Amino acid sequence: MEEQPGLSDQYRTASPWPVFVALGLVLSEIGVFIGLFPVAVFGLILFGGSIAGILTESGYVTRPWPTLVGVGVVLAIIAVGLAVAYVPTADITVANIGSGPVLTRLVAVAVAGVVMVAMGGVGSVMEQTKV
Amino acid sequence: MAVGDLVLTGLMAVLLVGIIALLTRIENWRSYTPLAGGGTATGEDAAVLNREKPAGIIRWLTTVDHKDIGLLYGLYGIIAFAVGGIMAMLIRVQLIAPGGAILGANAYNSILTSHGITMLFLFGTPIIAAFANYFIPLLIGADDMAFPRINAIAFWLLPPAALLIWAGFFLAPVTENMIEPAQTAWTMYTPLSVEQANPGVDLMLLGLHLSGVAATMGAINFIATVFTERGEDVSWANLDIFSWTILTQSALILFAFPLLGSAIVMLLMDRNLQTTFFAVEGGGPLLWQHLFWFFGHPEVYILVLPPMGLVSLILPKFSGRKLFGFKFVVYSTLAIGVLSFGVWAHHMFSTGMDPRLRASFMAVSLAIAIPSAVKTFNWITTMWNGRLRLATPMLFCIGFVANFIIGGVTGVFLASIPVDLVLHDTYYVVGHFHYVVMGAIGFAVFAGIYYWFPVFTGRMYQRTLGKAHFWLSMIGTNLTFFAMLALGYLGMPRRYATYEFDGAIAPLAQVSTFHLLATVGAFILLVGQLIFVWNLLQSWLEGPKIEDGDPWNLERDGMLDKEWEWYDRKLETAITDGGEDEEQSALTDGGKPKSDD
Ligand code: HEM
Ligand SMILES: [Cu+2]
Repeated sequence: MEEQPGLSDQYRTASPWPVFVALGLVLSEIGVFIGLFPVAVFGLILFGGSIAGILTESGYVTRPWPTLVGVGVVLAIIAVGLAVAYVPTADITVANIGSGPVLTRLVAVAVAGVVMVAMGGVGSVMEQTKV
Repeated sequence: MAVGDLVLTGLMAVLLVGIIALLTRIENWRSYTPLAGGGTATGEDAAVLNREKPAGIIRWLTTVDHKDIGLLYGLYGIIAFAVGGIMAMLIRVQLIAPGGAILGANAYNSILTSHGITMLFLFGTPIIAAFANYFIPLLIGADDMAFPRINAIAFWLLPPAALLIWAGFFLAPVTENMIEPAQTAWTMYTPLSVEQANPGVDLMLLGLHLSGVAATMGAINFIATVFTERGEDVSWANLDIFSWTILTQSALILFAFPLLGSAIVMLLMDRNLQTTFFAVEGGGPLLWQHLFWFFGHPEVYILVLPPMGLVSLILPKFSGRKLFGFKFVVYSTLAIGVLSFGVWAHHMFSTGMDPRLRASFMAVSLAIAIPSAVKTFNWITTMWNGRLRLATPMLFCIGFVANFIIGGVTGVFLASIPVDLVLHDTYYVVGHFHYVVMGAIGFAVFAGIYYWFPVFTGRMYQRTLGKAHFWLSMIGTNLTFFAMLALGYLGMPRRYATYEFDGAIAPLAQVSTFHLLATVGAFILLVGQLIFVWNLLQSWLEGPKIEDGDPWNLERDGMLDKEWEWYDRKLETAITDGGEDEEQSALTDGGKPKSDD
């Protein structure tokens, strides 16, 4: 326990991330539940990004990018899984996005997931190619 | 819709740019701490520690220090108390006339709903978290909470939760009443809460859900802290009573709040995604009541256990005696914690549920009164033959005991099925729980604030104002809520905006009189709370400075707890030449200390 990073005995008493984790979670919930596409996408990205940030800062992981990719993959899988389970296959078309209450929300989650994977991938590559 | 989406997208983009801009500035303040790279601790000295926090508002936005977070919770709780209090005053003014004095029925219902939710979720739970955050680590000799960042996240979920819960009030004027405040009452019973099409209900539910997430995160943190972060000299045997109650409360939160969260999600889905969890053709409306009260009854103990802990901690300090039967107070706390999950259906006696089930819930509800009574007797016995010092914190503790007796005894009456069938949904119930939530929980919170005011602020509050606050609160509470008990006996139903009923149903003249008395009491309470806020602010700014770490003279009785020792060390490091203080501190509240012996 004592060696765990991020614990109190290290006396770090300031971090920029908690506010953003909270804000990300709030916007995600509002976006997904009320069905506001941009808010949902942005909120989820902010949430995933802040999780990656806070874990890196507190030393649980060394680099943020794999976490970002991980959160993105999880979200995308959940969204696709729910879509397959609950939306009739025939209804899953681009034209239908924005009409069904469930499909639109799932697309928002999936989009956020994909964006996070992309961000994580790009970040990772950029970091490794930096001299 | 398209325009709205565009606006929203733009807004989100602006937010994104803003956040990135903010975060890039971190590089600057990261130099405050040598640990920015992520936790490879190197030797740190005190000089570095002092510069650990950025200055100004950024400090408060980024802090993960348990004491700062405790103060933030406290500020938040007091603001919520003020908002909820104003709503309460509106309710009371409305009811001075049988036809309703100032509000329409919808406005009344909105305010009634928000009052309940604000007081329970935005004042009650957070104000307890304020004390727990500030003092649990100090009392158990820990450096901080087990997870300081999660602690901060939990707090920062609360301001958005409040905005969502109140959203209807802000949005109704700008959306031409398309989005209104919720009118579901705090219990959100289905089918009413499913059928109100108003999106304000969704926002309120989301806010409630977020506040639940916050409470759960906090609870996990407290459990981890008490289990793993205790100092070497703190064992289970000498763990203080407040930590015990917070530990029990956290366990209750851990079991109760996730359930509320799930039930809320189900309700949201019934409202928006055409599920049928609570529809007649699905789980049925009664399912909501079961889920809600399985959370809801433990919630009342979530709210009352830590205040009981505060009183158990503070009352002995001013009685000159150790808490009588400490062990039994702890056992009672644990017993209440366990039993509180077995009584929820006493809120549903009149729903037509199976009478055999009903009887078992009655039995457990009556049983839960026993550990509560054990505590009450222990507080009284602690004071018995004690050297009482009637300082403001002590007055509030005694007020707590007095009010809790009335609140508890009325609860026992309600727990008895035949009595409840008559009194259910009347003002008697309102009187019962307000004796507990205002008369007891509120009073314990005040006791805590006064008792630790020197620790928070380094200054002493003004005693006369403190005493005025106590007496106005005590008289106001008893006038208001005793009148409500009487109203209940007269048959006045709760949650009504008007009461112009037929004289054959209830004696209208008496009902009006008691409503008037309740409102008078509420105004007395209001004056008291104004004095309280004034005292807090003025004393914080210009109260007399505290010079030693024992402003209550606890050393004399060997009752100086760890938080005061910590405070004393802090004072000594701040004032290097701080010599030994006189035996009797001039700052002791409650008259000349010598006459106490
Ligand atoms: C001594 C133990 C207690 C017993 C036996 C008890 C019993 C009851 C019963 C039977 C009811 C339902 C009345 C009805 O709706 O017909 C009730 C309502 C209520 N009690 Fe208690 N109670 C006790 C302590 C408490 C405490 C400590 C609190 C608060 C911290 C509390 C808060 C409430 C609230 C808020 C309600 C009203 C819920 C609502 O319908 O809105 N009670 N109590
Ligand atoms: Cu109950």
